[in-house]
Amino acid sequence: MADNPIILTASNLNLGYRKGKQVNTIAEHLDFELKKGKLTCLLGPNGVGKSTLIKTIMGQLPPLRGQILLDGKPIQQYGLWEISKKIAVVLTDKIRMGTLSVRQLVELGRIPHTSWLGRLATEDQSKVDNAIKATNIQYLADRPLTELSDGQLQKVMIARALAQDGEILLLDEPTAHLDLVNRLEIMQLLKTIARNENKAILITTHDLEIAIETADEFWLMPCGSPLVTGLPEDLILQQNLDLLLPSHQLYFDRDAGKIKSKIEILKINIDGPASMKKWLEQALIKNNITKLPKDQSITLTENPFELIFKDGETETRFHQIKSLIDFFKRGNTTEKN
Amino acid sequence: MKNNPTYLLFFLGLLLCLLLFALNLSIGSVHIPFMEIVGGLAGKELSRMSWETILMEYRLPKALTAIFAGIGLSVSGLQMQTFFRNPLAGPYVLGISSGAGLGVAILLMASSAFGWAIYQGGLGIWSIIFAASLGAILVLLLMSLTAWKVKDSMTLLIVGLMFGSAVSALISVLAYFSEAEQLKLFTIWSMGSLGGTSYSQLTGFFIALLIGIIPVLYKIKSYNAMLMGEVYAESMGINISRLRWAMIISTGILAGSATAFCGPIAFIGIAVPHMARLVFKTADHRVLLPGSALAGAIILLFCDAISQLPGSAQTLPINAVTSLIGAPMVIWLILRRNFSKEF
Repeated sequence: MADNPIILTASNLNLGYRKGKQVNTIAEHLDFELKKGKLTCLLGPNGVGKSTLIKTIMGQLPPLRGQILLDGKPIQQYGLWEISKKIAVVLTDKIRMGTLSVRQLVELGRIPHTSWLGRLATEDQSKVDNAIKATNIQYLADRPLTELSDGQLQKVMIARALAQDGEILLLDEPTAHLDLVNRLEIMQLLKTIARNENKAILITTHDLEIAIETADEFWLMPCGSPLVTGLPEDLILQQNLDLLLPSHQLYFDRDAGKIKSKIEILKINIDGPASMKKWLEQALIKNNITKLPKDQSITLTENPFELIFKDGETETRFHQIKSLIDFFKRGNTTEKN
Repeated sequence: MKNNPTYLLFFLGLLLCLLLFALNLSIGSVHIPFMEIVGGLAGKELSRMSWETILMEYRLPKALTAIFAGIGLSVSGLQMQTFFRNPLAGPYVLGISSGAGLGVAILLMASSAFGWAIYQGGLGIWSIIFAASLGAILVLLLMSLTAWKVKDSMTLLIVGLMFGSAVSALISVLAYFSEAEQLKLFTIWSMGSLGGTSYSQLTGFFIALLIGIIPVLYKIKSYNAMLMGEVYAESMGINISRLRWAMIISTGILAGSATAFCGPIAFIGIAVPHMARLVFKTADHRVLLPGSALAGAIILLFCDAISQLPGSAQTLPINAVTSLIGAPMVIWLILRRNFSKEF
């Protein structure tokens, strides 16, 4: 049989906790397939059960109903030890041991593969080397963990998971607490790893924009309805991303590629290049200036940069959005007075 | 992970340990020439009969007790610190020492109530050891029941602390009702003592030490995985509940036997693993375990040498000496660098 890209499947899965006779169902009727070589993003509001799903896939929490098949076999039939050779995780807990170096932490990933004493064989050493190379952290290898930045630490944690050498990597919010550059870098790194190492990577994230740019597949987990899966672009065109937004005040703007508030509709005539208009509109919305009389308009010119406010025949020129807004605000107050 | 400096450190440690061992044998209220002691250890007869008795029946068992207790306490401290991921965990924390104390207190109370004269003669020492072991095991069983019910390590740690406090309170109640002589006896026991262990007791101690170390050796890789916390460890195939049992059994036997034979000895369990981390600059338990054991033996031998007050017939209580050395050391460690980062 050829290498099957689908490594993990579930159908009609119910998640939750069982405490004595009490059953606390968190999510119901989930169906999904996780594929090798793909970066899959699990998106959903806080508290919808993303972490519960991760725990269930890790085999640490039995599903209330349905089954997860790992390589065709129900996950409950695997021992912890066997799962650890197939699934590696990166969690949100911070690991900061002063006495541990980066390489030593990555070496911990080999624990499922070594003998009781944990001695690293040549093969283990080369897997550790590969993991360090794949995450571009060679220059950090001998540093203690306490000296790393959050972004570097996250890469080290990914390297450790890679060294564990499972077919599946689960990452719980790998980009939380990181700055924009690091978030992009980590996501690009994960995508490269999925491609080059043929891993099935599942991450949870709240970073919609970066996820759209990098993910091969989306799993949307809306409140109280089943999982919606598919290509991010398909989901956008089918307007499925709105499922994630519980409030009717918000919607996903296809053109801008981000979530917008429905109130943000300007009734102001603005002329000028689109790229400049966008920022002026944003500034006006922020300052709650959404309406002007019909005979008033704003013209933007690029070179020299000028904002020309036309009120009937009179023209007022500004060189800054700030002074225009100040002008409106003064105008409004004088009208009120 | 092992490299040459590590081996060198172990070699130097062993050398220091031997040196302190020899020092321990040669100091005391009676002066015995050093060459005589070396000869005695090599199997030759000493030139005076009394020297022979002092060396073989008193100083040698005492030095060996110091080594065994040092190893047992520091190895159990190391396990607890890693398992609970708490730098202040130690054998005292799971209430083991307090349990042993309760056993001894009840024994002394009962002896005064029923008029037994158990504290006289060789039988008395055995009965105290027996009572201490029983108390330690009892607290340990309670803790195991809790561990079985409670899955969270931090909760277990807090419950252990509370057990310790409750048991100490019980001891105070018992002390309040006991007679002056019993109270004095109990106070002396609680000051700890490395002396007064016979060879048969030493054999028992040694066997307990061996049995207690087996679970740690067996789980040494799991302890390395625990550096990253329970969830990560579990994701690497470590069975946490089995590790918890191994930890409870091992620390129970190691710390319980040390407390039973020597009385409570403070700070060795907390301070020594940190010293090992500092000296060997690693978090790898394959180095830290033998490292802590060696450091524990060295420190307790050193404390014992100090308590001996060379040239004088007086001996300071060992618990006081270890506290006087251990407490400033823990404070120094905390001040020197961020404890949580260090750990």
